Amino acid sequence: MPNSFTTDDNLLSVVNGYSDAVKHRQQLEKSGSDFSESKGEVANTIAQLHPRRLQLQVVEIIVETASTKTLRVKSLSKALPPFQAGQYINLFINIDGVDTARPYAISSSPSCRDHYDLTVKRLDSGYVSHFLLDRIQAGDHLQSTGPMGTFHYNPIFHGDNLVFLAGGSGIAPARSMIEAFAAENSGKQLHILYSSSYQDDVIFDQELDTLTAANDFLKVSRFISRANDAAEKISGRISQQDIQALVDDIDSAMFYICGPTSFNQACETMLAQLQVKARRIRIECNGPPSRPQDRANWPAAVDSQQSVEITIQGRGSFIASSNEPLLNSLERNGYSAENACRSGECSLCRVKVVKGSVYNPSEARLRKSDAQYGWCHSCVAFPLEDLEIIL
Amino acid sequence: MTDFDVIVIGSGNAGLTAATRAQLRGARTLLLERHNIPGGCATSFVRGDFEFEVALHQLSGMGTEEQPFVMRQLFESLGIMDKIEVVEEQQLYRIVMPGEFDVSLPANWLELQQHLAKLYPAESENVSRYFNLCESISMESFMLLPQARKANDPDLLKQSCPNYIDYGLRPAKQVLAEFFSDQDLIAVLSAYWCYLGMPTKDLPFVDMAMLIYAYAAFKPCHVKGGSQAISSALLESFMQAGGQVKFNTGADKIITDNKQVKAVRTEHGETYSCRSVISNASAMHTYNELLDTPSPPAQAATDMKSRRLGTSAFVLYIGLDCPPEAIGVTEASTFIIDDRDEETACEKMNSLAPPSHTMLTCYNLEDSSFAPPGKSNLSVLCLQYGAPWEHVAAEDYANTKYQFAQSLLDHVERVFPGIRANIEEIEVATPLTMMRYLNTAGGAIYGFQQNTQDSNLFRENINAIDGLYMAGCWNGMGGFQPTYMLGDQTAKQVVRDLQKQNTEEVAHA
Repeated sequence: MPNSFTTDDNLLSVVNGYSDAVKHRQQLEKSGSDFSESKGEVANTIAQLHPRRLQLQVVEIIVETASTKTLRVKSLSKALPPFQAGQYINLFINIDGVDTARPYAISSSPSCRDHYDLTVKRLDSGYVSHFLLDRIQAGDHLQSTGPMGTFHYNPIFHGDNLVFLAGGSGIAPARSMIEAFAAENSGKQLHILYSSSYQDDVIFDQELDTLTAANDFLKVSRFISRANDAAEKISGRISQQDIQALVDDIDSAMFYICGPTSFNQACETMLAQLQVKARRIRIECNGPPSRPQDRANWPAAVDSQQSVEITIQGRGSFIASSNEPLLNSLERNGYSAENACRSGECSLCRVKVVKGSVYNPSEARLRKSDAQYGWCHSCVAFPLEDLEIIL
Repeated sequence: MTDFDVIVIGSGNAGLTAATRAQLRGARTLLLERHNIPGGCATSFVRGDFEFEVALHQLSGMGTEEQPFVMRQLFESLGIMDKIEVVEEQQLYRIVMPGEFDVSLPANWLELQQHLAKLYPAESENVSRYFNLCESISMESFMLLPQARKANDPDLLKQSCPNYIDYGLRPAKQVLAEFFSDQDLIAVLSAYWCYLGMPTKDLPFVDMAMLIYAYAAFKPCHVKGGSQAISSALLESFMQAGGQVKFNTGADKIITDNKQVKAVRTEHGETYSCRSVISNASAMHTYNELLDTPSPPAQAATDMKSRRLGTSAFVLYIGLDCPPEAIGVTEASTFIIDDRDEETACEKMNSLAPPSHTMLTCYNLEDSSFAPPGKSNLSVLCLQYGAPWEHVAAEDYANTKYQFAQSLLDHVERVFPGIRANIEEIEVATPLTMMRYLNTAGGAIYGFQQNTQDSNLFRENINAIDGLYMAGCWNGMGGFQPTYMLGDQTAKQVVRDLQKQNTEEVAHA
């Protein structure tokens, strides 16, 4: 019943401009569309940039070192979405019936949309890295999120003097950055201070030599933290003096830090002592703290080894330990929550705690109002007592 | 019995308000949200030490504790006034045309007039006439016009709404030109056009008048914790009243039978039966994609044909490691313009050309809790349509976005030098970002273009599908206050209709 404006039309026709607007409306109606031609457009446009899930196949497995492999993955359907060097995807896997996931930085060039390289290092205390290294074969299918994360070059304020402090597999996003800068010839300088535990543990060792030889913008200083037979490499951990000696014009530098949590913390402390401002430091988030009980604000009265009961409203309950992130124990007990960074940042795994309390380490980038109503980021939340949560 | 009485699709302002109201009035309500957090536009995100407000610049309609206005009453009745902390702002805005003028306005109805009269003495009488008109027309439009429409009484209309009849629906630009000859003053008084997204030539005067009146007479506000604190508080009220919410759960289909809502299927394949659906999604998404009919109902199709897709925005969320004073911020809201006439800016909204009208909001100027000590929490934006961004190839997207961000910063740094040098965190949102999070065509933030004929005065209720209701800016005005109020009105209507059905069912039993 178009144009049936009941009584209002007559009433409002005395209003100056009313009939003009009615006419305008009728004109627009003649030339307009009901938008049905753009059905699906929003979803398609977004899926090109930020697909929710990627269906991947492992096409090649490259052995980098005794403890590290690169999984080369291709998309099973559409082209892979673009990403910014430094970003990660979150890999979803099922290990012996348990659904879980881990984020991995893409180590390949962002200009390559044919495949992503995911460089995975064995973590002794790990769970997923063993599975990926020991049980994944070429041809296997994997599922992931689209590329995401804030750890990447930002031309608005990062500048040209770039210093990357990489520890172990933290070299993965650095490799992607090298490739990105090599493709654009933009005048940036990249100096990588790269620390590995042992000489035979240096990921991309040869390749970094080749890249350094081919690219004037790139400099790599290697550190071997646990061996002393490293001929041309600096031995020992990266020290404050090393940074001071190796980094040109420290005030203009932008520092990227990516490595194990202890490495990241050590680097952050050294840079702070060198008076580097927080705004010139980017740190890749790196999972939940492995020993939350060592943090200064862990409640002293709580034994981190204690068992607590987690009740999921309307669904069931299980026993977990105070030193395990809530998301992990949920997954192990057959519950799932959306997640991506698993480091407290992306907030996809928000869960509401209705009874009991959790420990939120500084990794948990909670909004003010989250804390007010008991929302936590389950990937980095540790149950301090029996909990009741809403999933 | 159905699984739910009401299913609300989307927890934007209107969806959250509608869900809370429906549940509070006894309807068993399920709220579905695609994202992991409630709020839609009314949200925030954290980077480093900063929590960035996504969309709220100045909340209107709250009034003061002593003189509460509609929004305070609405929030009170939704049970959130004791959950949120309201911060009143003392300044309306600053507007700068570099090299030409730089004017700051107080958020006080009388002082504002006195201030303008002092700045533009030749126009002082006109200023007072103009502000009287704005005030009267706001009152007429808000209180008296609805009464006259309800009574359908032409005499009552003429008698009670004389200003509305003369000026209400005329183009704002025309009315401004009728009152003033000083082009600077006209530009100063037009600044809020960007809260509506249309140039003043296409805006009904009543909308401009109500905007300035609502902000200046009742003061702009903020809420501690930003708009997310309002969204989270509404959700808390909803849940406390027994409402159920599912995050990371988008609606996939509204299932109907014989033009009657029956159920909603989620993206995960679960189906929940219900008696009513309130959609907070866009009109086109609701009718063309969610509804299970092969084509939209004729009534909805006709309505959409007379609408045009509204604007989106390009926004920089910036955390600085210096205090606001260090870059010269003196007011929470600053508009920076290159031309007195906003039409030039509006033409650029459809391109990737450097913007000529921009806005900077400093969240911690009037309330230091919005940033860590010694730092600044800013948003810098310009309005822009989604179309030019939809044509950018995926692989060029990141570069295009940074380039445009640079041009926006260039524009703003003429008034606030030193932004770039002090950036600690920055996040860039393009119209495609809005599209991603709001699921609207073109990333539209205010719904359809809000020209005169877009108003509900010219719209019939779309009731082609029994039990399907729209709540939000696609069926009314965009912005915070209007969408909260629309959600409330819609839910009240839904509950009334449900009660009517109950009575009829009892009568037939």
